[in-house]
Amino acid sequence: MGVRRLLPGIVALCLGAVLARWLARVVGVNHLLVAIALGVVVSNAVGLPDDCDPGVATHKLWLGSGIVLMGASISTATVLEVGGPVFLVVLAVTGLTLVVVELLARNVFDLTERLGTLLAAGASICGVSAVVAVAGAVRATEDQVAYAAATVLLFDAITIVVYPIVGDLLDLSGAVFGTWAGVSMFSTGPVVAVGFAYSDAAGQWATMTKLSRNALIGVVVLGYASYYARRGGDGTASVRTLWAEFPKFVLGFLALAALSSLGVFSSAQQTSIEHAYNWLFLLAFVGLGTEIRLADIKSTGLLPAVVVLLALLVGSLLSLTVLSVLF
Amino acid sequence: MSTSIDRWSNGIRARWTALERDWQSVVVGATIVGLVSVLGLPIPW
Repeated sequence: MGVRRLLPGIVALCLGAVLARWLARVVGVNHLLVAIALGVVVSNAVGLPDDCDPGVATHKLWLGSGIVLMGASISTATVLEVGGPVFLVVLAVTGLTLVVVELLARNVFDLTERLGTLLAAGASICGVSAVVAVAGAVRATEDQVAYAAATVLLFDAITIVVYPIVGDLLDLSGAVFGTWAGVSMFSTGPVVAVGFAYSDAAGQWATMTKLSRNALIGVVVLGYASYYARRGGDGTASVRTLWAEFPKFVLGFLALAALSSLGVFSSAQQTSIEHAYNWLFLLAFVGLGTEIRLADIKSTGLLPAVVVLLALLVGSLLSLTVLSVLF
Repeated sequence: MSTSIDRWSNGIRARWTALERDWQSVVVGATIVGLVSVLGLPIPW
């Protein structure tokens, strides 16, 4: 893809990031939430020129790069200390959400099998990315993918607003809030945004928890592909799927976390890296905001939204209770 | 001279485009770490 095609959108993201940073200072609201709001307002009220679309679509690249750099700020000692129990909570809540969505979709709300599967993947693993990954493996139709993706985006928009309010009301610590967001919210971008909007510690816990949840995507895709292949569908399953669906930027994150804990970076270098990922997150979240289309959210079907809402409530309440006891 | 530069930049572009987005994120992150740690580039906030 030519640089010239990307340039208008990337310039728009940069302008949005600088504006969000300035507005956040003036208004006194977290810069990442301002960036998302800016993206939502611009794309829904004014609309971006079509020329900007390819460049704005790079926002996921900047999010991944920001997460890689965040590895340099992670305290590996703390992760090793409480990582085991937190990973068990991740496994339990992911499995529970998947099962609750599948059961409700099939047995209570009578949704089609593949739509239920897409909703279960999106709610339990990593939002729209999981919907798209599982859709390919189970040969879902475009309508089903659009429905499931719109439902996930609806809850991304709701949880971005609701989670920080609940965290403040309950006066949760950074570790509990971050892990709770990472284990129960849907897409990676909103998880990182609300985490850092709450506190730096919450942002780091939210990102680490969400990354370990995202790493399960390969297993879930493989499981669904095997299931639908056995049922006579044309989905194909392969161990290669595990690697194909694994979010590789996690490896970059882990490599930097290892280098950082070996003391490779000076404090000045670490500060510069932190600034770099803050800017990358700003670029990413302006772009993420432009993806939240209010018209699409309005057209989301009621039944898929109810199924996902119930699963979110179950997973969210259960994980919050367990984490409050754990920390 | 300009032909060899063109060939070099086309090669870089082709390799970049062939990379999966996750690996592109790793490359961007590694480049920033390189600029900060090797060249001492300060990044303001």
